[in-house]
Amino acid sequence: MTEPLVTFRNVKKHFGDFVAVREMDLDIHTGEFLAIMGSSGCGKTTTLRMLAGLEAPTSGEIRIGGDLMNDVKPHERDTPLVWQSLALFPFLSARENVEFGLKMRGVDKDERKRRALEWLDRMEIGEFADRNITTLSGGQKQRVALARSLVMEPQMLLLDEPLSALDANLVIRMQAVLTRLQKELGITFVYVTHSQSEAFAMADRVVIMSQGEIAQVGSPKDIYRSPANRFVAEFVGRNNILGGTVISQSSETVSVSTTSGDFTAVAPADQRTTGSDLTFSVSADLVSVSIDQPDALNKVQCNVISEEFIGSVVTLFLESADGHEFKVQMQERDLIELDLRSGSQIWLSWLPENAHVLDGD
Amino acid sequence: MKQNRLLNIILMIYVLCIFAFIFAPILFSLVFSFNSQRFPTIPLGNFTTEWYAKIFADPDVWLAARNSLIVSVSTALLATFLGFCTAYSDFRYNFRFKGPYLALILLPPTIPLIIMALAMLAWLSRLGLSGQLWSIILAHSVLTAPFAMAIIRLRLNQMDPDLEAAAWNLGSSEWQAMRHIIIPFCAPAIVSGLCLTAAVSFDEFAISWFVSGLNKTVPVIILEIVQGNIDPQVNAIGTFVFLTSMTLVILAQVFFISRQVKSHS
Amino acid sequence: MKRKFDLYAMTWRLPIIFWQALFFVGPLLFMIAISFFVVKNYRMTEAFEFVNWQKMLTRNYFWDSYGYTIFIAGISTIVAMVLAFPASFALAFRASDNLRRWAIFLLIIPFFTSYLVRTFSWYVILAESGVVNAMLGYVGLGPFKMLNTHFGTVVGYLTLTLPLVVILQTVTMANVDKTLIEAARNLGCKPLATIWRVVLPLSKTGLIVAALFCFILSFGDFVAPFYLGGSQEPTLPILILDTTKSGQQWPRAAVVAIMMMATLFTIAFAAIALAYRKGGAR
Repeated sequence: MTEPLVTFRNVKKHFGDFVAVREMDLDIHTGEFLAIMGSSGCGKTTTLRMLAGLEAPTSGEIRIGGDLMNDVKPHERDTPLVWQSLALFPFLSARENVEFGLKMRGVDKDERKRRALEWLDRMEIGEFADRNITTLSGGQKQRVALARSLVMEPQMLLLDEPLSALDANLVIRMQAVLTRLQKELGITFVYVTHSQSEAFAMADRVVIMSQGEIAQVGSPKDIYRSPANRFVAEFVGRNNILGGTVISQSSETVSVSTTSGDFTAVAPADQRTTGSDLTFSVSADLVSVSIDQPDALNKVQCNVISEEFIGSVVTLFLESADGHEFKVQMQERDLIELDLRSGSQIWLSWLPENAHVLDGD
Repeated sequence: MKQNRLLNIILMIYVLCIFAFIFAPILFSLVFSFNSQRFPTIPLGNFTTEWYAKIFADPDVWLAARNSLIVSVSTALLATFLGFCTAYSDFRYNFRFKGPYLALILLPPTIPLIIMALAMLAWLSRLGLSGQLWSIILAHSVLTAPFAMAIIRLRLNQMDPDLEAAAWNLGSSEWQAMRHIIIPFCAPAIVSGLCLTAAVSFDEFAISWFVSGLNKTVPVIILEIVQGNIDPQVNAIGTFVFLTSMTLVILAQVFFISRQVKSHS
Repeated sequence: MKRKFDLYAMTWRLPIIFWQALFFVGPLLFMIAISFFVVKNYRMTEAFEFVNWQKMLTRNYFWDSYGYTIFIAGISTIVAMVLAFPASFALAFRASDNLRRWAIFLLIIPFFTSYLVRTFSWYVILAESGVVNAMLGYVGLGPFKMLNTHFGTVVGYLTLTLPLVVILQTVTMANVDKTLIEAARNLGCKPLATIWRVVLPLSKTGLIVAALFCFILSFGDFVAPFYLGGSQEPTLPILILDTTKSGQQWPRAAVVAIMMMATLFTIAFAAIALAYRKGGAR
């Protein structure tokens, strides 16, 4: 394993009494696409701003390439940031915006111009080079902002919710542009977002933050299939979460008594203690649906409350007899075969190995 | 409904009357400046440019015009610099005693000019700075800086707060960001500020009269003529002062408002 | 917390502190100081004596002047507020946004025309054989004596204050939530009662600020009472002028100035307290 590019060691950031980031430890590796995700106020933007030197950590150490960065001024770093507001300079043309960083680094005029035009071409907006920035569309501005940062040839690019102002179609297009760029350039991207779809679509690794702390770090698949704790399971949103007391155990599984019924789940050895509390999650797309009672270990009967379509995938929202909410994801054509209507009674079932036991709180 | 229409018409006529009262002295001054009567009344006398000829021939008026020009330009530069510093400090930083700090710059225009004039006269005499054009400039810079500060502060309000940090992020030091980002962004407001402070300084007579000594500015000349006798020269000078001030004010508006519209589009 | 000297921050923060300390706070404090100085043989010498205070505050002419200044500035403020109100009301509620913007732009113009020239213009207009009396003569009235009267002084003050009062009143009332007025009308409130019970309370703060500015301007002006009021009854600013310019009695002028400042501060505090009193504007 090579030395990480960035290390956060025991980093804290307070604003007066408000704790933005507490006790953060994190490694960021060369060439990876890392997404930091969380709801607003979770500390993700503060983390990014500390990387750019716009905030100094209250305590702890941040190193980039092994060098301690705590007191290094923003302009002495090589950490260009793509801003949520884009922060393009309104009185400059697109090309002058891209040239700005080079000018500050003392690159001579012709070289500046050549490199700026090269990047504008690469971002497919070369024809707008001399247009005033205020006359460009949202997507074009986005590309100028990217070019302005990447023309600096940084080892790491920071992105703070860069797509939040774009409409849905453009977001998908820009995601493809960003992923391709990151692969081509081979540099590290640190991408802050509140959008799960953006993070999961692009990132190699995802950091989920909550109230100033890291809740889980892992690949999108890890986080989706094996949420570390209840917060992550709920945050990811496509999980059915059930909690109860362990009533019996076998060599690999436990039986858990919950208000919705008794269920069997594969559990690690340290969680297989009779009488202890246990919470597990089941991914909504790993739940099967049938009209007749299935012959399965884990099953529960529910009422259909509502359905939500996104493309050809449908999410059913259901409720068990005790009022617990369940979610099931399936293809639309499978739903049509079931012929449901609101209020229909159906059975849900899942395999014990698809129940993922969560860490206690 | 009909009654409402009538009421509207009456109200609008009333508005016109108020405007007539406000603009009557300005218009009459303009008319009188071309009127041959020494003591103008109705019916008006003949058209004449006598009064203009007189002031153009008067070396004192030329000297005063030169003095006024020096004072208002220097005041504008000084006051706009001070206003800019304060507006930027207010925009960028939070610090203890910020309230008193802002009060310090915003208070002077609320103090009666005659009091400022007396205090300035006494203080500048004490420092050995009175009786020169510089004395007027010092006093006027204190008086007009708040106007420049207000305009520049409004402009900074329109700035994306990330803009400055974006410049640092791209390798500018704070000083470079000031030069390449903040000042260009504020440029229209700075020009407006220069025009407005120059206009205010150009018209101010009380402080100028007290501290100027023998270096009279145009308003001081007007004051002295008015003190002496009825002399329609005042109207001719007044018309010139009016045209100068209005040019400055309209320039200020053009720079400020046109940019505001632009930055909203 | 470590505190380092931040050169950049201080470059922007300090100039105004330095400048205002030297040329704003300095002069005002020094003015307080010289009120205790004494004048001997037309020369001011440093001292700490109450003789100027005693001389001024025990004289009837000072207190007459004090009373007259408050009276005439007060009258002028009331007249300005009352005259301006219907016009501001019309501009705030009956004019289009565009018309209102233009009106306010026009009202800014007088601030940049010489107040002296405007006063001189009034002097000629209001004279015994001036424009107004000539016009009245055609309909068989007059001539009226308008110069060197309270009327003349008030006209002069209004020249200075009326544009500002109309602007402040208009802006204040234009910001009143129009739906509240409609609601009041809908509930059967008569038009005049609506003004009295809804518009005035809602725009109280702005109206008081307008009146305060009007009073401060009139109170401190020496041009109108001097040229149009004839200065037989000197106002405090004229007293300062006379004492400074003719008698070299700066210390006594300083006493008058300090009394004026104290009065203005008291009135300003009272007005602001009234404007922001709880249960008022909301």
